[in-house]
Order: sequence, then structure tokens, then C-alpha cells
Amino acid sequence: MASVLYHCPCLSTSSTPPPPHLPSSKNSFHPLHRLFFCEECDAVRCNRCVSVEVSGYYCPNCLFEVPSASVRAEKNRWDSSEVGITFEKPTGLAAQLQKLEDSAPDALEFDRLKEHFEPILRASSLSPSSSSALPAAGHSRHHSNPITAAAAAALARDIPGVGKHTPHTRSGRPSGKDRSANKDEIPEYKSRVDISRASTYGSGGGDVDVDFMRRLESLSEVASLEQRWMYSWSTSLETRDLRPLRIPLHSKQSKRCPACTHILIKPEQKAQSVRYKIKLVAANYLPAITVALPHQVEMLGHISAEAAKRSAKAPQDDDRDRSGLQAGKTYPFHMALTNPLYDPIQVRLSVQRMHVAAASHGEGSAKEKTRRPPFAISIPTAPFSIAPFAEAWEYDDDEDMFGLDDEELEARLSGREKDTRAKSKTVGVLEKKANVTVVGGEVALGKEAHGEIKFNMLVAYTYRSDDPTPSDGHDVSPSKKAPETKTFAFYTVVNLGMIIPKNEPRLEVDEI
Amino acid sequence: MTSMESPLYYSRQEFIETDTGNKVSRRATIAGPQNIILGGKTIISSGAIIRGDLRRSGPGHAVVISLGRYCLIGEGCVLRPPYKTYRGAFNYYPMKIGDHVHVGAGSVIEAATIGNWVEIGKNCVIGKFTIIKDCARVADNTVVPPNTVIPAMSLFGGSPGKHLYSSSSSSCSFVSFSVGHFIEDLPETTQEVVEAETKQYYSRFQPLS
Ligand SMILES: [Zn+2]
Ligand SMILES: [Zn+2]
Ligand SMILES: [Zn+2]
Repeated sequence: MASVLYHCPCLSTSSTPPPPHLPSSKNSFHPLHRLFFCEECDAVRCNRCVSVEVSGYYCPNCLFEVPSASVRAEKNRWDSSEVGITFEKPTGLAAQLQKLEDSAPDALEFDRLKEHFEPILRASSLSPSSSSALPAAGHSRHHSNPITAAAAAALARDIPGVGKHTPHTRSGRPSGKDRSANKDEIPEYKSRVDISRASTYGSGGGDVDVDFMRRLESLSEVASLEQRWMYSWSTSLETRDLRPLRIPLHSKQSKRCPACTHILIKPEQKAQSVRYKIKLVAANYLPAITVALPHQVEMLGHISAEAAKRSAKAPQDDDRDRSGLQAGKTYPFHMALTNPLYDPIQVRLSVQRMHVAAASHGEGSAKEKTRRPPFAISIPTAPFSIAPFAEAWEYDDDEDMFGLDDEELEARLSGREKDTRAKSKTVGVLEKKANVTVVGGEVALGKEAHGEIKFNMLVAYTYRSDDPTPSDGHDVSPSKKAPETKTFAFYTVVNLGMIIPKNEPRLEVDEI
Repeated sequence: MTSMESPLYYSRQEFIETDTGNKVSRRATIAGPQNIILGGKTIISSGAIIRGDLRRSGPGHAVVISLGRYCLIGEGCVLRPPYKTYRGAFNYYPMKIGDHVHVGAGSVIEAATIGNWVEIGKNCVIGKFTIIKDCARVADNTVVPPNTVIPAMSLFGGSPGKHLYSSSSSSCSFVSFSVGHFIEDLPETTQEVVEAETKQYYSRFQPLS
């Protein structure tokens, strides 16, 4: 489908954008509605170059607006939907949930391990003989500390399989010669949970899991790997044992111009409001441009009419592709330019010359050069005007455009008028209605043309400016002052669509 | 602009147009029409099923499903009010849809509320009591689980590898859906863009004379 994208220079000093067939073109052209406009710099800005700051946080699940201060204090919040955990109060959920987490078998086991080893750790750090308790730089941390070694030994004894994974061999020292391994003054650790029954607590595997799987009635009873993955400890297989997790908060964002730091976007405080205190978007400054190929529009209308006659399924816009472009042919195309300003504008269009040689330099192949899709674009070069935007047009839009009233008659009359004009000339101004001007262009495709037909187009528009030019210097009395005009220019890339690939096998061979 | 966009024709015989510009296909199933409100300039396509008959028990009149202005309910869509058993009593709850809401063909909606300027793709399943805030968008083929909240200005959709498979026992064919989750924030201009698109769709939608 045909499209028009707008260039953001992203603070680049180069005045020309990359040619449309280079991959870098994709990064510097955007749909108009995604761009911002800085009045201070008189420049287009995009999401790649603006600076972003958080203006508020909210929970994406319950839409609770989280005060920034508490985000900083608590880092995050908990969500507890659908897990059957009740809280005593709606705030400080993390603290309330902490109690629940603290009573989990793995947490209790960890506490017990700490309780067991902390006194020993304290005692050994006080003892002057065991300087190795304080790991010196360069020492292998894994076994220079007797406490760590003892803890590892205890773990290896109590939890099958752990011994195999202790990273003792990294320094190449045989673990048997580790001096801490023989320190028998450390009392034996007795685990709280009997390892043979650990699967009762969801440590993974074992008869409990087998039994659970046997009684399984619905797949949803099994917590997905993705859900269980979030836990650091192996957990129960059962969905009902899942606990709430910390979920990332969403934020509302303000955006600033990267050059002058003026605010371009400032959302309203309320999290679910779609209004903005400041919203400087390019669509309110630059004319909106759409492109269409009349033969495709006609074709789509025809398909739609046929479907309506048969009361068949409504056509989709994808049908447009069925009337694609063919190499060696010439097609007219239409561009509709809509003026968003309350003043009329004068527009001048020009096609950026394609530097074919430069573009093929990188590849260094003459073949690349000859394979370049040869096509020629003609567009009106004389300036044309677009009427100002007025709220009244909006009202018109609200009316039934295709109802059985005078307006429809008017629309049809203007439509007929347009058709006769369109026949007399392809390239030029075709239609003016409200704040929209439609211009016609033409594309002549060479026999070897293939792929997408894209070209860069410079759009320069002149508008009346209310503020005096700062460089003026002299004080001019208002009566003497001529109406100030300013010109703004921006690049677009116009994509007219794909050329239908030929089905001749010989050409396919040539492509390779 | 007629030279830029072709009309989307419909058969004059198929659609009923109301005083407020709603266009309802005779091939749509409108159950319990007295419990359904259409805001105006809203299109109900062929094959759509709107269950206004599934109302809260008890006497009197009740709005079951309300749609705002410039909405489009695509072909074969099902709008069914959400239900739950609360304190032992089974009940349906109303569904409210705002202005400028487009629902793609083949989607099933059981949401509680859908805000304004919302786009739902084709073949989506919007679970019971889902709340969709203003200017949100749901990508094609997305399953949104019940009770989900979709924040304003956010795009929901699936990602490759995150699929639910629904298989029919009679055949080996698998239909894949993506489980909906937050993908990204939508642009700040979403409201204007969706409003223009829905208005344009309505004006392109015209009878073949
Ligand atoms: Zn940029
Ligand atoms: Zn929450
Ligand atoms: Zn700036």
C-alpha cells in the first residue's frame, strides 16, 4: 500500500536524508502522527531523539496510581489478584505479604542456616588465628572462608546433588586438601526439612508430583514453566500454589526537545487520562500528506460494489495489492495535502535527485547499478495553496456526507468537476476542498523496474508568522510592518507500492 | 476525498439505517433489541450477534449492551454481556462500549467496559469483565483473559512463541492465538488518529445506488 513517511533529522547537521533504498532510510522516516515539533527550534523531533522522563507511575493490572515517593521508597508494589490472599489494609501490601513469605519452608530453612552459621562466623572473624575468614583480594572466595566451606559441606550432606555443583575445582586445588574441610569444631547442621520429604513442599520431583499429575483434571492446574521460572527456588507444580510477584509498574512520560530542552509532551497527572497539558505534535504544524494510485482506488471501489451486489463479504483494503504496479508502465498518482494551520499555506514540492552512483558505491558492483529500479517521477513544481483549517470543516465532517441531502449533491457535483479536470491533466493541482488540496503526479516505470517504488520528496511551505523575526533588530511600528511570512521545509519518503514480480523463469535466473 | 479512498459499498437492501445514522445489517442477530443502545453512526456488520437478551434477572427495563457513536462491529462478531455467580446468584452484567470503537471481524467480546477510541483486531477473544481504557488497541488474533485491565494508550497483543492452541477433536488442524499482554505505549496522537479513521470509515461506508 502506498504511504508517505516524514523525516526527522535527529540533530544531524546533514540537510539531506538518506536515499530511500538504503536501510538507514527506515530509521529516519516516521509516520507523521508519531512525530513532535519544537517551536523553539522550529524543528521536527521523533521518539529516537527526544529526551524522556517519567511523570507518574501506575500499576498496569489495577491502574492504581503509585506516588513517585513511594516508588522510590518501596521500589515496586505487589499485585494479588486471583490468588486468594487477603490483606488487612490496602496499603503496604509488600510488608503484609512478607509475613506470608517468611513462613515459607525455604525461607524458614534459610533462617535456620543463618542462625546456625552466624555465631560461628562471628566467632571466627574475632579469632586472630583464622585470618582467612576475611577474604583477601585475589583469594578464591569459594573455599578460603571456613564458614562458607562448612556451609557448603552441610548443604552437600543434606541436599543430594549439591556436592557435585560446588565450584571447588575452579582454582585447581583439590577440595580434600582444603584446610577448612577438616575443621570439626563446627557443629553439624540439622536441616529443618527432611530432604526425602522435600517434594511435599514443592521442591520439584518426587512422589508428590507424580501423584498430583495422576489426579490432574485440567491442564490449567499445572503452573506453566514461565510462571515457575520467576521464583528463585524450585516450586510446586500446582497453579494454586502460585504467589503474587512483583510486577513492573508502567509510567507516564514527559518528552523534551533534545536541543533546547523545552517540553514537547506533558501528560495529565491522572494515570488513565488520555489528555495532555502540553502536546506539541508535528501533525499540528506540518501538512498531512496521503498518497493513492487512482487505478487502485477505482479497482477497490469496483470490487466493493460487486461484493455489495452479491451481498458478499465486504472487501478488505488488502485487495488494493491485487492491482499492483507493472514494470514498463506509466501510472498517475494523487497526493492529498491537508493544512492543519488556521492560516492558508503555499506549498512547493520537489523530488530529491537520486544519487544512483553514490548508492551503488558501497556494494562496489556495476551490476547493482544496472539493477537499480529505473523509474521517473513527475510532480507539480509550481507552488500551490491550501486553504486554512477551520472548525467548521469538522462540523461538515460530522454531517452525513452521503445522505440524501443537498450536501451529497454538492459533493457529487464537485466530484464530477474533478473528474473532467483530471482527464485534462495528470500532473498538477486536481482538487481543492476545505483545507485539502489534491495534486496529481505520474510515475513512469522502466522495463527493468522491480521492488518498491520509493522516492524522497522535499516539501516547503510558507505560512504567515505572528511573531516578529528575532534577528530583526530594529523596532518596526505595526502599521509599517508587512505581514511576516516564514518557510519551513521537510523531507518525506513517498512509497507508491511494489512492482508485481514477473513470472518468467528466465528473469528469475537473471536475478541470481 | 473520493479520489483518495474508494467507497465501501453495501447493499441498500441489506442494511437498515436509523434516524441517528446507525447502519445495522439485516443479517446480524440483534437479540433483545429493547436492551441495546446504539449511539449513532454505528455500523453492525453482517453475521454479527449482539446478545441484548442476556439481561440481569428481575423486573423492568435494563440496558444490557450500549455502544457509542462511530463504532463498527465487524462481520461475525459476538457481543455477549459478562456473567458471574455472586452470593449464590447467577447474573449477567451490562457491557458498555464508548465512541469510536472498531471491532474486527470474528471477534468475541465479553468485556465489562470498553472506553473511547479503542481498536480491537480480527479474531480476538476479549474475556469476561475485561476493562479496556481509552485509546487502547488489541492486535489481531489476541486472547485477552477474563478480568484483564488494558491501560489507556497501550497496545496489547501476543508475541511469537506465546500461543494457546485450540484443537478440534475431529481434525488435526490447530488454530493458534496469542495470549494478550502489554506490548508498547501507543503514540500521543492516538485519539485524533482513531477518531479520524472511524469517521472516515463511516463516510466511506455507503449504499450502492
Ligand atoms: Zn529524531
Ligand atoms: Zn495493582
Ligand atoms: Zn527545541
